[in-house]
Amino acid sequence: MLSIKNLKASIAGKTILKGLDLTVNPGEVHAIMGPNGSGKSTLGYVLSGREAYIVEEGSILFEGVDLLTMDIEERALAGLFLAFQYPLEIPGVSNLEFLKAAVDAQREARGEPLMSSKEFLSAAREACKAVRLPTEFLKRGVNEGFSGGEKKRNDILQMLMLQPKLCILDETDSGLDIDALKLVADCVNSQRDAKRSFIVVTHYQRLLDYLKPDYVHVLSEGKIIKSGGPSLAPELEEQGYAWLARQPGEEKSL
Amino acid sequence: MNSWFGNALTRAEAIDDWLHEKRAASLALLRDTDWPTRQTEAWKYTSLKKLEQLDFSDGSPAPVIDVSPISGLNSINLVFIDGVLQSIPADLPEGLTIMPLAQVPDEHQPWVLDQFAGVKPQQHLFGLINDTLATNGLVIDVAPQVDLKHPIHITQTMTAGNEAHCRTLVRVGAGARVTVIEHLAGNQESFNTSFTEYSLATKAELEHYRLALQSDAALTIGGSHFNLDTQATLNSTIVGYGSDLARIDVDISHQGEGTLAKLDAIYLLDKQTHFDLHSNIEHTAPNGTSDERVRGIVADKARAVFNGRIHIHRYAQKTSAELNNRNLLLSRDAEVDVKPELEIYADDVSCAHGATIAEIDQLALYYLRSRGIGLEQAHLMLNFGFINELIDQIPNAVLADWLRQQLSGRFTRMNEIKHSGQEATQ
Repeated sequence: MLSIKNLKASIAGKTILKGLDLTVNPGEVHAIMGPNGSGKSTLGYVLSGREAYIVEEGSILFEGVDLLTMDIEERALAGLFLAFQYPLEIPGVSNLEFLKAAVDAQREARGEPLMSSKEFLSAAREACKAVRLPTEFLKRGVNEGFSGGEKKRNDILQMLMLQPKLCILDETDSGLDIDALKLVADCVNSQRDAKRSFIVVTHYQRLLDYLKPDYVHVLSEGKIIKSGGPSLAPELEEQGYAWLARQPGEEKSL
Repeated sequence: MNSWFGNALTRAEAIDDWLHEKRAASLALLRDTDWPTRQTEAWKYTSLKKLEQLDFSDGSPAPVIDVSPISGLNSINLVFIDGVLQSIPADLPEGLTIMPLAQVPDEHQPWVLDQFAGVKPQQHLFGLINDTLATNGLVIDVAPQVDLKHPIHITQTMTAGNEAHCRTLVRVGAGARVTVIEHLAGNQESFNTSFTEYSLATKAELEHYRLALQSDAALTIGGSHFNLDTQATLNSTIVGYGSDLARIDVDISHQGEGTLAKLDAIYLLDKQTHFDLHSNIEHTAPNGTSDERVRGIVADKARAVFNGRIHIHRYAQKTSAELNNRNLLLSRDAEVDVKPELEIYADDVSCAHGATIAEIDQLALYYLRSRGIGLEQAHLMLNFGFINELIDQIPNAVLADWLRQQLSGRFTRMNEIKHSGQEATQ
């Protein structure tokens, strides 16, 4: 599904990703952990096509197609979805209008007939229920006046509506209380199937306890320095990241 | 003196009715007033050439004009066509009196004489012209403590080749609550002036709309003017489309203590239209609050003028006044002339103002696109969102929906026209 090779990317002249390799197969859940500033969010932004981030080297293939030649919206229509660490407030554009435009664009790209307003509204209400946002939120401006947790749940709501192939969750668990965390994890789990893949960026093991990833990677200084199975997460929680950096063979100097 | 003005004065002299004394006083002032030029501050950015050259000799056929009420609004409807009031509904709610300006019963005449040209400041040239020429109009009296559930919806429209002058006076009694919609429509070659004077007694609440939805060759000059007595509340929304010549003056006078006025204005201009909004907020008493937000989208070769004045007098301590104007320009030839004016003579006040030319938020654009929404549609959504933010704040939900529909329809058409224009030149 996703194949990243030797990815080097920068923002404002500063190189953040310094040769990242990652392969995600259909149906897999990959967790990415790592210290602050290691490039976790940058990876999500680069994948989504955010313009300020410049790819200097390397390749990204998404379902065999070169992702780097695609516009932001083309990537989304191809099935890539990024749940943001800090979802934006857009006053004046209602959630409903925003969702309808996004769903219409998706269906058009897939060659499916557009939903009628009635169908769409009932689907949107269902999605609200799933993330426990009151349906009145649909009428409000996108994330306008939402709490941090409500914004994150709203991103998950979009994920439920858009049915992407690859979901990147960028610290979706930060700022959520335990109940909301469980709710988000349940939503994600409900979307898991043999075809859909997830990249979950997180600082905490707690989300991973619910999600049970297939792989855990440690990103440090713009590279993946260790990959392992689900048991790596509790190890990291216990020992931190420093011991990894000190392992022989790493170019990192202390 | 240009011929339109000369002709107007001659017509004014011939009017002799129960408002004669008021009219004569304004006529005397007019005789001492020079016709504005581009050097006249109040008309610096708005040319009156279209009015000076007014020629209705073409006589194009008048189309049927839709003056049907807004569905679901449950309003009390009053319609003027070419300045002529069609009818006053029978069985008005208790506590509401509506009279044609020409037929005000004796018992109401004293307060009407008091309020006529008593709220609207003298400096408005066309206000004075309206004083002398407006034989048509309405007088509306809302008795104290009455809570009117039905909005009063006044529609004015013009057919081709006509000129009309309307004056409306509204008295809102102590503790009364009312909604008044001044709705001006039409796109035919015409000229109207429409001035409305409101007085709000102690604790009165007025929800006010001035929908200046004329367009194209419909020239219009007018104003809405408000006196607020102690603890009175005004919530006003102005919407403008702009035409060959469109000018609105709003004066809000905080005369009693603890008054509250909110003024939101939205304009959406395209082609070569012109929309000029002058607002003037006077705080003469302590503890008043005013909050003014003005937002506009200006496309093509259109031009918006916004002059926002706040005047806090010496005794108006503890006043809180905010004025914010933001504009989105959609073309290089679009123009906005903004002048905020603050005059503060009290030392214990909080006052803020700002005027900006907005740019589209790149991050918001990215967010929308990251959900698969195309660049162009994302632009349209954010641009319209810029004014929709104020539509969202409109207290009457039915009217908000109606306005959102009107404005988004107009906005979509504006963009479609631009497209076909671009294709044609390719």
